[in-house]
Amino acid sequence: MELQDITYNKSEYVETASGNKVSRQTVLCGSQNIVLQGKVIIQSDAIIRGDLANVRTGRYCIISKEAVIRPPYKKFSKGVAFFPMAVGDHVFVGERSIVNAATVGSYVYIGKNVVIGRRCVLKDCCVIEDNTIIAPETVVPPFTRYGGSPGMEIGSVPECQQDLMIEFTRSYYQHFVPSKLI
Amino acid sequence: MSSKNNIKVMPGAIVCEESKLKGDITIGSHSIIHPCAAIVAEAGPIVIGDYCLVEEQAKIIHRLPFDYAEQENAPVLIIGSHNVFEVDCAVEASNKIGCNNVFESKSFVGNKVNVTNGCIIGAGCRITEEQTLKDNTIIYGSNCFQREGLDRPVTQTAQIDTLSKMLPNYHHIRRPLKKN
Repeated sequence: MELQDITYNKSEYVETASGNKVSRQTVLCGSQNIVLQGKVIIQSDAIIRGDLANVRTGRYCIISKEAVIRPPYKKFSKGVAFFPMAVGDHVFVGERSIVNAATVGSYVYIGKNVVIGRRCVLKDCCVIEDNTIIAPETVVPPFTRYGGSPGMEIGSVPECQQDLMIEFTRSYYQHFVPSKLI
Repeated sequence: MSSKNNIKVMPGAIVCEESKLKGDITIGSHSIIHPCAAIVAEAGPIVIGDYCLVEEQAKIIHRLPFDYAEQENAPVLIIGSHNVFEVDCAVEASNKIGCNNVFESKSFVGNKVNVTNGCIIGAGCRITEEQTLKDNTIIYGSNCFQREGLDRPVTQTAQIDTLSKMLPNYHHIRRPLKKN
């Protein structure tokens, strides 16, 4: 099934040389600490907290509207430190989700309204369903499907998840086009 | 009631300018308001205590109840000290919020709820019915179970110290009141 074109207002988005499409309505705090590897889409009102620690995303990541990407903190005997956060390739983050994870692997699908507690580790090829709340410091193994509150394993995903996510994020990027001027 | 903003920031507080503050708001010393947090004092003034942490997308709204008769003096929402409002929580409590409470991500507290001290409202929990949460109540899970905690949640002073060093490097900070 072919994806429908998702159009956006050309003046609202900035496109960089490496193909990142970033809305002007996002809040990118500490933008010098945010690395987007290319072909990343960041939609309006998303928040990325680069001021707390470095945030690094792979290629073909899609951050939907009003999602929050926020490096986690850890308490030490003297003070608190914020940890850099790494997001793999071909990752989709749904609308209004909060990602507080330490690392997010590649080919991960995060649904809408999800809360990923602080310092979670999402391994490659996992799926987090809509409205899931994952408790802090959870490790989500590869090829699992998590849902509920608190989030628990509710199933598995097929072995072709990698290809599915590559296909999904690529076609999303290709169909995310500026609206044609009339 | 008055549309003009009257925001008092006590010394030592870090209030980012990108936060949305509306109405008569007092922010106690050593509190931190992240960018994109929203504090709306519609019905009357909001007073936030010391060492509070309000993260981005958190909404603290002091709204007029529907069955509310116009009174002479506007009710004041007093929020105690050491409270943590995590990302995307919505707090509409209208009476009083005690100390040491944690409102986790995407939690919702309705305006008839009375929050005392040391309560944790878990991530994604919605409480709307009229009730008073006893000290150290913990609300958790998809069905909003309640139980009593053995201890108060730990205070986040260490995080506040770190943030108060880090945030001024990246954000424009609202100037606090000068000490007289």
